[in-house]
Amino acid sequence: MSYAYLFKYIIIGDTGVGKSCLLLQFTDKRFQPVHDLTIGVEFGARMITIDNKPIKLQIWDTAGQESFRSITRSYYRGAAGALLVYDITRRETFNHLASWLEDARQHANANMTIMLIGNKCDLAHRRAVSTEEGEQFAKEHGLIFMEASAKTAQNVEEAFIKTAATIYKKIQDGVFDVSNESYGIKVGYGGIPGPSGGRDGSTSQGGGCCG
Amino acid sequence: MSMEASELQDLSDDADYAASQQQGSASMMRCDSEKRSSSSEHEGAELIYTKDNVAIHPTQFASERISGRLKLTKQDSVLFLSWIPYKGEIPNAKLSDKDRSLYTITAVPFTEVRSIKRHTPALGWQYIIVVLSSGLAFAPLYFYSGGVREFLAIVKQHVFLARSAEDTNVLLVNDFQSPLQRTLSSLELPSSLPVASGQSTYPSDGGGSSNDNRISILSQYGLRKQKSHDPTRDLSIHLLEKFSLVTKFARETTTQLFSENNGFGSIDKRRNNQPVHSYPEKLSNIAEEKHHESSHSYPETDRLDNEEISNDIDVPADPLEFNNLSLVWGKPRQSPMGREEFTAFLDSEGRVVDSKALRKRVFYGGIEHQLRTEVWPFLLGYHAYDSTYAEREYHRSVKKKEYEDLKLQWKSISAEQAKRFTKYRERKGLIDKDVVRTDRAFEYYEGDDNLNVNIMRDILLTYSFYNFDLGYCQGMSDYLSPIMFVMEDESESFWCFVALMERLGPNFNRDQNGMHTQLFALSKLVELLDTPLHNYFKQNDCLNYFFCFRWILIQFKREFEYEKTMLLWEVLWTHYLSEHFHLYVCVAILKRCRSKIMGDQMDFDTLLKFINELSGHIDLDSTVRDAEALCICAGENGAASIPPGTPPSLPLDDGILYPQDDDIL
Ligand SMILES: Nc1nc2c(ncn2[C@@H]2O[C@H](COP(=O)(O)OP(=O)(O)O)[C@@H](O)[C@H]2O)c(=O)[nH]1
Ligand SMILES: [Mg+2]
Repeated sequence: MSYAYLFKYIIIGDTGVGKSCLLLQFTDKRFQPVHDLTIGVEFGARMITIDNKPIKLQIWDTAGQESFRSITRSYYRGAAGALLVYDITRRETFNHLASWLEDARQHANANMTIMLIGNKCDLAHRRAVSTEEGEQFAKEHGLIFMEASAKTAQNVEEAFIKTAATIYKKIQDGVFDVSNESYGIKVGYGGIPGPSGGRDGSTSQGGGCCG
Repeated sequence: MSMEASELQDLSDDADYAASQQQGSASMMRCDSEKRSSSSEHEGAELIYTKDNVAIHPTQFASERISGRLKLTKQDSVLFLSWIPYKGEIPNAKLSDKDRSLYTITAVPFTEVRSIKRHTPALGWQYIIVVLSSGLAFAPLYFYSGGVREFLAIVKQHVFLARSAEDTNVLLVNDFQSPLQRTLSSLELPSSLPVASGQSTYPSDGGGSSNDNRISILSQYGLRKQKSHDPTRDLSIHLLEKFSLVTKFARETTTQLFSENNGFGSIDKRRNNQPVHSYPEKLSNIAEEKHHESSHSYPETDRLDNEEISNDIDVPADPLEFNNLSLVWGKPRQSPMGREEFTAFLDSEGRVVDSKALRKRVFYGGIEHQLRTEVWPFLLGYHAYDSTYAEREYHRSVKKKEYEDLKLQWKSISAEQAKRFTKYRERKGLIDKDVVRTDRAFEYYEGDDNLNVNIMRDILLTYSFYNFDLGYCQGMSDYLSPIMFVMEDESESFWCFVALMERLGPNFNRDQNGMHTQLFALSKLVELLDTPLHNYFKQNDCLNYFFCFRWILIQFKREFEYEKTMLLWEVLWTHYLSEHFHLYVCVAILKRCRSKIMGDQMDFDTLLKFINELSGHIDLDSTVRDAEALCICAGENGAASIPPGTPPSLPLDDGILYPQDDDIL
């Protein structure tokens, strides 16, 4: 399937906050309680539509443990969006947000759109971080914010799409030079959803960005 | 004018012949040209010996064997060896004259022969393998009517032959060096690499060469060599020659293994015939330029070779993969070692008499699952090879007690104490989260309240106390899972895991130092074994090799199915050919994908994703065979590319094993 734009996303945050589950919920619309912990990085992709334009999201799901930070840093390059995830039932995952943000600011491009997600909001009875605190942190750091649940799918779709919409708006506003792929955006075939030319975005290098 | 000289001229405008000269008898080419210029040729040569019905076996098929005549001649007190295939003998339409000329040995002076290896089995054909000083080897020469002994006796009358200390079947020619020097020099470059001169002897501007990749690549190399003396370039040329020759050599040996087998024969054939059957097809392609075989049955990964490169991108040829031959040519994999066979390695008290032989056996075939419980502890170094049954039993009981004591260290932490012990709480939290995310789809760990999941947690937590500096890191549970499945005992699993971490612990260092050294060593190996691919990575900012991170961190655990992973691990843990065999496995996989990677012009992101998605699509047996071939081919140069202390080598000094940062865990 052809796309008008391809956005690279990266999902970051402490281990166990539900990054992989969020990705799976978004790409496959299911919650799988039994899955393997992430080593290195894993990939997901899905098409969405914004402003009638097909947009392909290529999502990088990273390993969260501290030891792997140095390698995770190399994945920021060329990401247009980031989902920064914490677990509302574990305070420390919220406390570590600042250091994640620092990594992102240092290693991603300055215009990267960051969505803060307080995950596992289905576990409200075990909540350790209030919604207000999350909102406050997001406001202070200029992030978009949502609480979500990979388990119930609440706000999952919204989080990914809202991030894309924000990026899309930045493109419209001319914030990005879309021909520069370091912004994590690849331009497809002028947004015309061609009659399945067999060309899948994930394998098309540059997708005709120069044409 | 002698027969071989006329042949040379007949074929001098033949690209294949030129290529065969370049790869096959590079070192003698120089002397050919010298001789030609002095125009004395072989006229005054004295015929010392001839032997008919000496054949080579390019494939395992009898129909494709090539018979010929072996000759010894002498001129100016130098002994020469030649083997010329019989003319006009067309055993099989597939085998053209070109193919046969590929194997022709045209008057090699014994001054350039390093050794002759003889095989004189009681049953089956006798053969010899001639190895040149440059490290090149000719295809085995089979003496259909016997007479290897006589042949050697005659050689001995003219040159100095000494039996190798390492292998009594290897006769060293004119070897006056000390044994140490010998090993050191055995794989080094000959001081005068015949590339530049070689270049002038084949027709780089001859007819048809423009559409022959090989020639242009070779000339390119030759030219670059002349411009700058880049040692790695030299080496890759050297390897290029060596590899293609050794390729043939190995194919022979493969064939040999099949014909005169050793007990596993019938099973081997059943299990391995797939890749082997692909040889003749591959071989037949030598003559058909760039003919891309399309539909032969071949492991899935062949797809990755991307024979049909979609665009016009000119992928630099693999220096080791001449003539589009498949790289698959390590020894055929054997069936796993069974109990009876294992028992034969033990003396009456249970000591492993010849640990190297045992490791070799495991390297080539792995272990039957039921037997792993017994063999893994040796491979991992938990039990000593020279321990007796009784000693191991005692060791187990001592270790069991020790384990229980260690476990008690955290078991006895009260809730009150835990409140004041953040590090412990954090570690336990991490481990609790990860054991329920480790191989839960595998039946041994599946289901709620699975006992084995709890045992895994206990072992990991105990380990994090046993090795408090290293602690717990993600990926450890991936290693522990198969160990527990194999050992089926908590304490035994723990100690095997400990033994493994002695070597692989650095993979989990906070500073990732162990990973970085391995990735660096990998980059050096690729530079050595596939310079064009290395250059590609360099140009595309991929030299950090992070795309191989997962492969190395958990030794391919996520790339193969469970059973295959166990097989691969025991192969790696033998340290049979190299402690760093896993790095050669990386190179082998990368080489299989090289044309896809370069043809698609993958950037870092694309490459990472591509490599990730190889998971589940890599054929283990052929990959291990490739890796074996690469490892042998790289030889000392490969070992030298890997910095000392690179895991799983034991650390160089016994200072602090696991450098500590002072934050978080
Ligand atoms: N109740 C609940 N559990 C979740 C949710 N998301 C993830 N989990 C669980 O949290 C654990 C860690 O999830 P995972 O996606 O592997 O975390 P990651 O390390 O950030 O990728 C798993 O055991 C999941 O089942 C959620 O929204 N609600
Ligand atoms: Mg994950």
